[in-house]
Amino acid sequence: MNQVALIWILAEKDLKVEYRSPQAFLNTVFFALLILVIFNFAFDPGSQATREATPGILWVALLFPGIIQLNRSFQAEREEGTLYGLILSPTDRGVLFLGKFIANWAFLVVVDFLVLGAFVIFYNFSFSVQMLWVAWIIILASVGFAAVGTVFAAMLSSIRTREVLLPILLFPIIIPIILAAVNGTQEILILEEAQFLDRWLQLLIAFDVIFVAAGFLLFDYVVAD
Amino acid sequence: MSLPIDQRSLQLARRYLQVANGLLIPLYLLVAAALYGAFIYAPTEREMGDVQRIFYFHMGTAWNSFLTFFAVFVAGIAYLITRKSKWDKLGAACAEVGMVFTTIVMVTGSIWAKPIWNTWWAWGDPRLMSVMVLWLMYAAYFILRSSLPEGDKKYKFSAVFGIIAFLDVPIVWMSIRWWRTIHPVVITSSGAELAAEMLHALMVSLIAMTVLCVTLVALRTAQRLNSSLADEVFQQLDQERVSRQ
Repeated sequence: MNQVALIWILAEKDLKVEYRSPQAFLNTVFFALLILVIFNFAFDPGSQATREATPGILWVALLFPGIIQLNRSFQAEREEGTLYGLILSPTDRGVLFLGKFIANWAFLVVVDFLVLGAFVIFYNFSFSVQMLWVAWIIILASVGFAAVGTVFAAMLSSIRTREVLLPILLFPIIIPIILAAVNGTQEILILEEAQFLDRWLQLLIAFDVIFVAAGFLLFDYVVAD
Repeated sequence: MSLPIDQRSLQLARRYLQVANGLLIPLYLLVAAALYGAFIYAPTEREMGDVQRIFYFHMGTAWNSFLTFFAVFVAGIAYLITRKSKWDKLGAACAEVGMVFTTIVMVTGSIWAKPIWNTWWAWGDPRLMSVMVLWLMYAAYFILRSSLPEGDKKYKFSAVFGIIAFLDVPIVWMSIRWWRTIHPVVITSSGAELAAEMLHALMVSLIAMTVLCVTLVALRTAQRLNSSLADEVFQQLDQERVSRQ
């Protein structure tokens, strides 16, 4: 079978499951909204300093809830035995990775766009061309986040303490994504002219390429048993 | 009753111990020379004063904390290819020593920074932040290890994490540097020009710390190999006891 079609079948399966029981989706969005609201209480909402911190607030709200989804993405597979079926099927493990990764990535992007909409309203920005650039950053940042996250989630799915372990392993690794995304967003939303935006986008792309490739190669070792 | 022990593993542990033993006397001499170089031979820095002397050990340990990280990466790849547990033992030992060295880097850096930068912890310095991230990754590596029982799975997962973390280091470094060149730079590093004596002291310290690092890694690897052999013996004795009852 065509490899691309195979990847799509795998991703579609996951997305269909998410679509039919959108509980995880709603939990993730709700958690993100909570973070946006809590930051409003934590900082003085009207001040200039808070205004300048909004890109950071947005990215905390986008990345932390993503953990919920990643943790779940292999749980059902383990419990229902789907994972064994997938492993036993005559597909390359790299293809399995790409299918899982694309499903996680698509899920995160949809959640993130909703959260971005809420962010624009809560923090009084406007729906303009600038937001398209932020959306582009979201798309790129989610690739790296989902790639590393999928590898770690698969690895931890057999460990009892996975809920705690996933953020502990994932966040040190994605520090470049956090830096690039927050600073890129800052250039777009806060600074008058975007000087270094290209650089941050390049950094995100480099991260994405390296870790999608690493996930593709290493996935075999994290799902084999 | 004789117990079948993995002779090759025993031999390997012995060889690691021999390396550590062989390095012991050079290590004492080198550390003595490094102490002499840093505290007596090297002149006092004109502006910073005596506190600058911490720099010799700071550099020596910093270089080694990156070296061990690379070793964890190489040992991880070697394990994934060969599936021999000796590579995991080596990788874990490197990570242990690396984490201790990284901690020393941060502590010595803080002691130096308080009088010079007037703060213990400078969030603005790219090197400091990179070392911090390195430390977090080492910590995550051990948290992962401690939550898995001994066996292939643990070794595999540690290797995968070690490889991913190592690939991340250059990106972390770049991102933190860019971040700091964009924001106003509050703290600039002092000039890197060193007097000849200072350079000599630094070189001796670098070599001494590297030998210390290699010795510790060899010792810890031997210990890990021996302790897993001891576990095997205990298991066999246990089985023996059960089968006799």
